[in-house]
Amino acid sequence: MADPHAATAAMDPLEPVPLIIGQYTDATLTQSLFGHVWAKPTKGWLIMFALSLMGTGILGISVVITLGWGIGTWGNTIPMGWAWGIVNFVWWVGIGHAGTLISAILFLFQQKWRTAINRFAEAMTIFAVMCAGLFPALHTGRPWFDYFLFPYPSDTLLWPQFKSPLTWDVFAVSTYFTVSLLFWYLGLIPDFAALRDASTNKARRLVYGMLSLGWRGSGRHWNDYKSAYLLLAGLATPLVLSVHTIVSFDFAVSLLPGWHTTIFPPYFVAGAVFSGFAMVVTWLVPARQFCGLKHVITLRHLENMNKIIMLTGMLVAYGYMMEHFIAWYSGNVPEWDQFYDRATGNFRAIYWTMMFCNVVLPQVYWFKKARTSIPIMFVVSILVNVGMWSERFVIFVISLHHSFLPSMFKDYVPTLVDVGLLVGTIGMFSMLMLLFLKFFPAIAVSEVKELNHELAHAHVRPEANPRQSGA
Amino acid sequence: METAIVPRNWIVAEFPTPAGLLEAAQTLREGGLTDIDTHTPYPLHGAEKFLGLKRSRVPLIALIGGIVGGVSGLVMQWWMNGYDWPLNIGNRPPFSAPAAIPITFECTVLFAALSIFFGTLALSGFPRPYHPAFDAEEFRSHSTHGFWLSIALPEGSDAQNASGKVSELGASLVKVVQEQVE
Repeated sequence: MADPHAATAAMDPLEPVPLIIGQYTDATLTQSLFGHVWAKPTKGWLIMFALSLMGTGILGISVVITLGWGIGTWGNTIPMGWAWGIVNFVWWVGIGHAGTLISAILFLFQQKWRTAINRFAEAMTIFAVMCAGLFPALHTGRPWFDYFLFPYPSDTLLWPQFKSPLTWDVFAVSTYFTVSLLFWYLGLIPDFAALRDASTNKARRLVYGMLSLGWRGSGRHWNDYKSAYLLLAGLATPLVLSVHTIVSFDFAVSLLPGWHTTIFPPYFVAGAVFSGFAMVVTWLVPARQFCGLKHVITLRHLENMNKIIMLTGMLVAYGYMMEHFIAWYSGNVPEWDQFYDRATGNFRAIYWTMMFCNVVLPQVYWFKKARTSIPIMFVVSILVNVGMWSERFVIFVISLHHSFLPSMFKDYVPTLVDVGLLVGTIGMFSMLMLLFLKFFPAIAVSEVKELNHELAHAHVRPEANPRQSGA
Repeated sequence: METAIVPRNWIVAEFPTPAGLLEAAQTLREGGLTDIDTHTPYPLHGAEKFLGLKRSRVPLIALIGGIVGGVSGLVMQWWMNGYDWPLNIGNRPPFSAPAAIPITFECTVLFAALSIFFGTLALSGFPRPYHPAFDAEEFRSHSTHGFWLSIALPEGSDAQNASGKVSELGASLVKVVQEQVE
């Protein structure tokens, strides 16, 4: 194999960084992408895994306390019937959105740079939605009766109330989880087959063989597979937009100052993509380093991600602007009061954190230096998620704690159990991500090989425009 | 078992390039062999044309799944909230179509996605624990880097003759395997 950087050196400096750095054949590319699966877990991975297990333990304890003693162990009080739990729910669902956006919407737009990061982001979606689902499930108070949420012929003869956005939420989130899982698994089948065939021992071959369902790369199967993949992408695209739209209906259809606004659906979707992309960057930066994936997840991928973070950050900023403008323009005193309280009340620190992290910070990405600097993007991506968590806190908790009448003004203090649940879900999410990175093909191997084949093909035809494949 | 199944002979052959593989597949297909398939690590552009495949049936399955999902989602809401046990919520009509849209949409997507996924698996005959091609250990490169052709020979045909033909078409490796029948 030639020097992996030879291709970069020979490139026109004005051309973007290639999507795959170096010259690879299908065999060497497969080897390089599976290297981390066969290698023994590194010390760094083990330390991270131990930490994430501790986090998951905290989650377990918090869940046991919640189940044993009830929702009274949370900081929720009237009028803050929804508080920390719903903040976490919306935050996690939002994080999930990036996966579907990358795998489905960028696929439909034929953005070739999505190929190296889609599998990874899809896995993130699934784990984030798992974390999200935990909160409303626990918040019902008696989760063992959660099956009441589904329409089934019960002995009370009652059916769910389908005019409630909360019921829509049940359908939206469960559909979203199911479709994401199917899409992810469908994409994984050829890669499981590759892992099966590259396995050196019997146990691995058996496990990956079962997961691959007997895939043999048949031309007939690819024919149906391509069609299925495209259709699932087409379905996932409106689905992902619908999920956060429906989540925002939970608030927008109520009459509470700060909630009752028509801008919520698009503003929530933009915020979801914003935080989700940030989470992808937070994980990609170490993952490409430690799993030896730098040749397929290049700075160009990260730069493109950062551009989208900046764009969606500005959409979110526009949302804030309109929210404040409409509050003022409405001439509605409780609305005025609510927005005044957000910026100057008890929780002003959280409000200004949100403003700084979501509006000011993404502006660093106007500079290419910042967009391509690993330390800067790592820090910004974490702070963006801090900002997005703050945004949900501002919207949900501050609106509830300062509504119409002074008799309804109350303070909110979270409990240790609340904090434990947030830290715990971060732990569980990290644990699942680490296991995924270790045992599953973190890169869509067959798609990357196809891309490699296409790029090699494009070189032979001088009339092909190399920029076509870029963002 | 009442009738004994006669195990068929299979030829698996590796080709050095995707183009060579596709041309060989087409030549053999036009020569009268029907059970021909390619096995590649990623979908080859235009493979369906060389293999003489019809349009995939997955879109039709998806359409049917989506229609069934949408209709049943809408009818479910009407029947449950508007007919079987009308609920009076703030004196709104028991069933109103705009409020039923989100769940109707979600049911459409859910049913369509489930039918795409399971439909695709069913069309491909998955999960499938055994396939004779895997009896040739070298065939395993089909998922990582090799471009393979498989032919299920009709009963009574000469395997040696057929494998000679495949070699002539440019295969770098040709193997004959026999189906294992329990």
